[in-house]
Amino acid sequence: MIRIAAVGDVHLDEDVVGRFRPALDELPDCADVLLLAGDLTRHGTEAEARCVAREFGGLGVPVVTVLGNHDHQCDQVPQVVKVLEEAGIRVLEGEGIVLEFPAGRLGVAGVKGFGGGFAGRCASDFGEPEMKAFVRTTNESAEALGAALRGLDCDLLVALTHYSPVPDTLAGEPLEIYPFLGSYQLGQAIDSAPTALALHGHAHAGSERGTTPGGVRVRNVAHPVIKQAYSIFHLGDHLDAGEVSRIGHSGIQQPWS
Amino acid sequence: MSEHRDSAAGTPAVTAGPPDEYVEAEIHRLLAEDPAVAEQGITVVRRERGLVLYGEVESPHRREEILRRVAERFPDVPVTSDIGVIRTQAPTQVEQLP
Repeated sequence: MIRIAAVGDVHLDEDVVGRFRPALDELPDCADVLLLAGDLTRHGTEAEARCVAREFGGLGVPVVTVLGNHDHQCDQVPQVVKVLEEAGIRVLEGEGIVLEFPAGRLGVAGVKGFGGGFAGRCASDFGEPEMKAFVRTTNESAEALGAALRGLDCDLLVALTHYSPVPDTLAGEPLEIYPFLGSYQLGQAIDSAPTALALHGHAHAGSERGTTPGGVRVRNVAHPVIKQAYSIFHLGDHLDAGEVSRIGHSGIQQPWS
Repeated sequence: MSEHRDSAAGTPAVTAGPPDEYVEAEIHRLLAEDPAVAEQGITVVRRERGLVLYGEVESPHRREEILRRVAERFPDVPVTSDIGVIRTQAPTQVEQLP
């Protein structure tokens, strides 16, 4: 069994530093890894990224994240990524990582993702250049996620996004804004690989649980939704039954990309 | 803008400023676009006696800042708040997935 802790949309700045830390100090006792589903900051500044590094760095377990739309606001993504990676937080965008635990190899593939809407009610790659650019951004993001998921060699596969891959976990949000909260293409990418779990954030008024059309479990771990420092998921009971092909020692394996 | 009255009570609206729906839209955008706020998860609801802000934020400071900025920008609009600060306790239960 592998224990995954996850939260998104923590929107850190100086005023929030320290609020998560008491719960995070307990995390190594109850989880093997922490996955962050984007919107780590308020405006995506380097200074806010340092707050994230202080709060979520040095936890004693691997920390893997994607960025969210807030993390792009000030156009300082390279600086934000640099600060996070220096703190040991691995930032995924169209790539994956394999983490080795005693119970087996956990593969995590991540993208921020983008909006567009869901099957039958979505934006199309048609018309004005602005609309085509919008939909192509979504398509490219989903294609990158699918390729990253399919490229991982692991025992348990998790997809990590900021935008939602399904409408199920948006329940509670106004229907009118669904196209700004996620896109079906992300779900399609998740279903193109043997994904065990998909985690996302972004939808603060959404709900926790859903599934892709292909049956993959989806969890919205946005902080305002889960209302606790992080949620914990136990996956892979079959791993304990000796079905793992290669069990390595605990630690981080280099990303595949 | 100097005055807003709700016409829902049956009397014609006497408005020197924009209709309430535009005020609601402006507040919603202010909350997202004002760098001092940057909150996309706050809901603005029109009630008979003014606007009510709902949602959750990461600190008491942010809640105060939202009210301060809205009052500053729309001094004549009665605004009340039901904004909470999200709890950050460790989980007490796990979800077991197959």
